Amino acid sequence: MSGVHPTHALPVEPSAAHSIQEFEHGYEEEQRLRGFRSACGFVTATWGLRCPRCGQFDLKEFSLSGKGVVAAYTVQNVPADEFVNDAPYAYVLIDLDEGGRISGWMPTVRAVGDLSIGDRVHWVASYKPGVQFEKDAGASATPGR
Amino acid sequence: MTREAWVLGAASNRFGKMKESGREAASRVALEAIQMAGVEPKDIGYTFVANAFGIAERQAHVGPLINTALGIPEVPSCTIESACSSSSAALHEAFVHVAGGFHDAALVVGVEKLSHLDTLTATSYFAIGADYPFESHNGATFPGLYATIADAHMNRYGTQTEQLGSVAVKNHLNASLNPHAHFQRPITMDTYLNSPVIASPLRLYDCCPFSDGAAALVVVAAEKYPNPRTEPLVIRASARAGSIADMHDRPELTGLPASQRASQLAFQQAHVERGQVDFMEVHDCFTIAELVALEDMGFFPRGGAGKATEEGLTARDGKLPVNPSGGLKAKGHPVSATGASQVVEIFEQFNGMAGARAVPKTNIALAHNVGATGSSASVHIFGRR
Repeated sequence: MSGVHPTHALPVEPSAAHSIQEFEHGYEEEQRLRGFRSACGFVTATWGLRCPRCGQFDLKEFSLSGKGVVAAYTVQNVPADEFVNDAPYAYVLIDLDEGGRISGWMPTVRAVGDLSIGDRVHWVASYKPGVQFEKDAGASATPGR
Repeated sequence: MTREAWVLGAASNRFGKMKESGREAASRVALEAIQMAGVEPKDIGYTFVANAFGIAERQAHVGPLINTALGIPEVPSCTIESACSSSSAALHEAFVHVAGGFHDAALVVGVEKLSHLDTLTATSYFAIGADYPFESHNGATFPGLYATIADAHMNRYGTQTEQLGSVAVKNHLNASLNPHAHFQRPITMDTYLNSPVIASPLRLYDCCPFSDGAAALVVVAAEKYPNPRTEPLVIRASARAGSIADMHDRPELTGLPASQRASQLAFQQAHVERGQVDFMEVHDCFTIAELVALEDMGFFPRGGAGKATEEGLTARDGKLPVNPSGGLKAKGHPVSATGASQVVEIFEQFNGMAGARAVPKTNIALAHNVGATGSSASVHIFGRR
């Protein structure tokens, strides 16, 4: 019958309610990092509808601590276009204390010797784009290369 | 239904800076590949185009323009986009159509033109191939993303700067013998070591250039072309795989799971052992990418490809020649032409057209092509009739 749409009892997928914009709003306005933990234990700070590891949809949202250690980094002398006035800066991959890994950037790391893999860092809210990290006070920086 | 499929014609222009537009270059190499194959243009059943950044030329939907220029406007076409693996994805689609019996001949054309953009704009176009909100928006460029792979690889396996440099020196030497190559001169290790750091630990000579270029392939059903005029490449495997898109969400930073999966699938399809591969073209957008590719596909143990390269095993006259064309690193990397151009190199090697860069043996060859930081990967294996 025209104009009538059947309704189906679809399973509720909680993560489907979230948008990429909310992640960015979280960084800049709410001062929190959104994270999701899957039933399989996978932790991600990337938008999605189901767990990329196990495929299940029961992703639970929580606020990430923003604390962790440097898994890998690079000091970029040639910047991305939104960071053209910030070079050199570090692009970093951070292993979070609660599990999972997140990418971010560190404007205060301007040379390879300013940071090392394994250094402890924490997230700082910023009006600038992206997820910004700072080194913890007293964190070692052993020039590795 | 599957049937044997061949690459019967293959052509490329010289990579670098093109004066003409992408559609003109694509049409010219397509016609060259068709004529080389001895196929009538009207026999092409489908045209698969790769042109990821066509919008940079204010031109999308380039397939019908190419087909019209070739005098076959009625032939259907579509554009396949898989970042830097776009034309190997297009080859895969052509293979599926021909081996599956939908068409007896298909055209694959990859083309890119970015040289009219400044470096910052071109870098930004490349960044669109990553996860823009969750990687690029955190400051990552493509050199930066691969630099974190290099950083993790060096930290875990002790890979040395000079080992990365040995990839660059080898590939520039090979490119110096390739008339299609963007860079035509060899470099020394000193030149490499003295080049500026772009994204630590990667230097200028660790990075592929922004290149314009076009490459085309003609894929046919073997049963329909009993008397080929060229030595065809028998497509023994055409495999693609994906992985978690964001590098930071993958458990391992020193390898690309999509390359691992695609190569496993390809070796299963081809019934070929790694030791049977005579030479290969691999995705070396950065020097570290060549080392990681060789390890991902199981040719060397984890952390072993750097030493093998340094010892000359992957040189043109080595035990396992890698990137005799010069690779993306020195032949150049016109994004959507790259995957097809790898097959052009294999075709020329099989047909005695490689001149001074000819490798010693050409019975089994492999082409490995990656999209972005490995969220997509293609592996093709070719043999002789």
